[in-house]
Amino acid sequence: MGIGGSMERRTILKAAGASAAVLGLGATTGCGGGSGAGDGTVTIRYSWWGAEERAKRINRTIALFEKKYPKIKVKTDFQTYQSFWEKFQTQASGGNPPDVFQNAVTFLRKYDKRGILLDLRPQVDAGHLNLDDFRAGVTEVGEVDGKQLGVPVGSNTMALVIDKKLWRKAGVEPHAGWTWDDFFKALKTIRDRTGVPGDTGYFGIMYLYDLYLRQNGKAFFTEDGLGFDRADLTEWWQDGYNRVRAGIVTDPKAVAQDLPKSSLSAGHGASEFTWDNFTVRYHSEGDSTYGLAPIPTTDGKHTGQYLASLMLSASARTAHPEEVARFIDFMVHDPEVGRIMGYDRGILAGTEQYDAFKPADEINKEIARYEADTAEAGVLGTITPHPSGADTVEAAFLRIGGDLGLGKVKVSDAVKQFFDESQAAFQA
Amino acid sequence: MTLLKETPPDTRKARSAAPAAGKRRGRRENLAGYLFMSPWIAGFLLLTAGPMVASLYFAFTDYNLFNAPRWIGLDNFTRMFDDPRWRKSVQVTAEYVIIGTPLKLLLALGVALLLAQSRRGQAFYRAAFYAPSLIGASVSIGFVWRSLFSDHAIVDRLMSSAGIHAGGWVGNPDWILYCLVALTVWQFGAPMVIFLAGLKQVPRELYEAAEMDGAGPLRKFWSITLPMISPVLFFNVLLETIHSFQIFGSAYVVSNTYCGPADATLVYTCYLYQQGFKNSQMGFASAMAWMLLLAVALVTAVLFWSQKKWVHYAEDAR
Repeated sequence: MGIGGSMERRTILKAAGASAAVLGLGATTGCGGGSGAGDGTVTIRYSWWGAEERAKRINRTIALFEKKYPKIKVKTDFQTYQSFWEKFQTQASGGNPPDVFQNAVTFLRKYDKRGILLDLRPQVDAGHLNLDDFRAGVTEVGEVDGKQLGVPVGSNTMALVIDKKLWRKAGVEPHAGWTWDDFFKALKTIRDRTGVPGDTGYFGIMYLYDLYLRQNGKAFFTEDGLGFDRADLTEWWQDGYNRVRAGIVTDPKAVAQDLPKSSLSAGHGASEFTWDNFTVRYHSEGDSTYGLAPIPTTDGKHTGQYLASLMLSASARTAHPEEVARFIDFMVHDPEVGRIMGYDRGILAGTEQYDAFKPADEINKEIARYEADTAEAGVLGTITPHPSGADTVEAAFLRIGGDLGLGKVKVSDAVKQFFDESQAAFQA
Repeated sequence: MTLLKETPPDTRKARSAAPAAGKRRGRRENLAGYLFMSPWIAGFLLLTAGPMVASLYFAFTDYNLFNAPRWIGLDNFTRMFDDPRWRKSVQVTAEYVIIGTPLKLLLALGVALLLAQSRRGQAFYRAAFYAPSLIGASVSIGFVWRSLFSDHAIVDRLMSSAGIHAGGWVGNPDWILYCLVALTVWQFGAPMVIFLAGLKQVPRELYEAAEMDGAGPLRKFWSITLPMISPVLFFNVLLETIHSFQIFGSAYVVSNTYCGPADATLVYTCYLYQQGFKNSQMGFASAMAWMLLLAVALVTAVLFWSQKKWVHYAEDAR
């Protein structure tokens, strides 16, 4: 090799060195997310789960926030419910959770136990976050062992969503204080007169079983485990299975194929238990008209209901707790934010927002009326505790309930499977 | 010593310097080579080797991604055998591999035999049959499959018109796995292309000689084609089997991310994913991953052992 060769080699070496350097640089910038710039501007990351519609509304509220706090920039990110928590778990375990994020009661203890959630109490004491001016009883949902781990943006409660056309056609009507017997009789009448199963699969819904247990002096969870025994669940699931066989509850085969749609909006069932603020979903998915009905009771009075809520939580590792607290404060108290968000995440929790938003459309009016009626009926109690692992237990309850409905597993085996999986979930 | 004295000092210097300079140049060239490779070496160490070593360690621990891993020895492995869902996932995966792989290879070989003959539009047919294997692994095809095999969708209607009223496959725990099998079989194009290449290599004169001896088409296939392409067949069997064990995407999408109904599409990797990323049991999931590696290695070893008996390399005969 001559001079040309060594020249080449030198250039090549330089190029190689440069590429290594770039690689190294890339690695450092990759870790530097969510920090401040030189001019005092701070960037915080905000993630939530939900549909496109929610994202549009939230982005408008963020624009308002950034106008009021020009020194705080908000970087956003959203997924569907399942993907959100999968991603969150990975981010959180890597020490890089978003600074502020949407949260639900099911996850509070799980992530508190893992040291992920910021106690917002000091920020309240410092005056960066106002916990007054909320509707009665909603802020307690975000409390765990005296720590304020979440601030509610909206509250919701379980309801029975019905396909009004089918119920009318069958000539049956739900009413406050009706019993489970009344309810199942109604389902059968609907099935007999319209050919459509009366319900889409009540026995796999953890939050409904919770209400049933509460009506009978128990609850789904205790502070650290399950609040019922195998005999309770065997009875609940055996009845459910019998009703699938009898055709008054939708065949889980149909439910599986309707996903991601609900079988209620697909016309394969006449009612479904879910959170009251989800009604909006059926209106956009289905062709019928949908309404809210009261939860059936055991004694003709107590429904076992309580207010749950979506909330905003902050990461314990955030570099900007004050800015995050101001952000949450703005999002839960600013009246304009309330007007933009509406009841998308439940009935607005802060009183300023609750007063600022008056629903104009029939759907939101009905949700508001339902929650007002429920509150007036005096049936709302204290929320059931949710131990760490509650989210996994909920998923197992739904899955195993579905398997059972398909007749793929005996009730006794399903109950055993559920108790085994719950045990593993509480310990994880 | 005398010898050294006789040698002129300058030559000695030159002689000893030459290899040293060569070595130095060699070393520098090596260095340049390594620098060039550095992104890949770094990638391999950080993204493949590192995580693999870590997962081997996690396999023997109780690890929820947050707390420090706690050493529990072989507990994860023994727990697997007591776990009905793990056994179910093994059963589902085995069924998928055992049914899907031979079907796919048979179809690939059959179509390759047809396409090996020269005819008009050959290039078009080859491209058309190959195309599914390019797009088949995508998420969108998973969605298409899901809607093809639902209640009242095209497959249901075709079967109903043939008098079989089975309903949609997607919601039926007894049928949905075949929906996934159909999806993998449909992607027979990749092994087909390899078979085609193999078929082209079979010397014409062998067939001519056989014809002279009065061999029919079946006899020719059995005694000439099959032995001659057996190395290619072995390659395809090996590749497709290993590939089948790793099925995830189609099961995840076709079942709408829950690998049901009734765990009917709970393939091994799907359960691994659920345990690791949904149920926070990363130790158990790691142990599962290593178990899968062991199983695939075992199957591969058996295939390699068996090929001595049925794979013929033309080179050996010459």
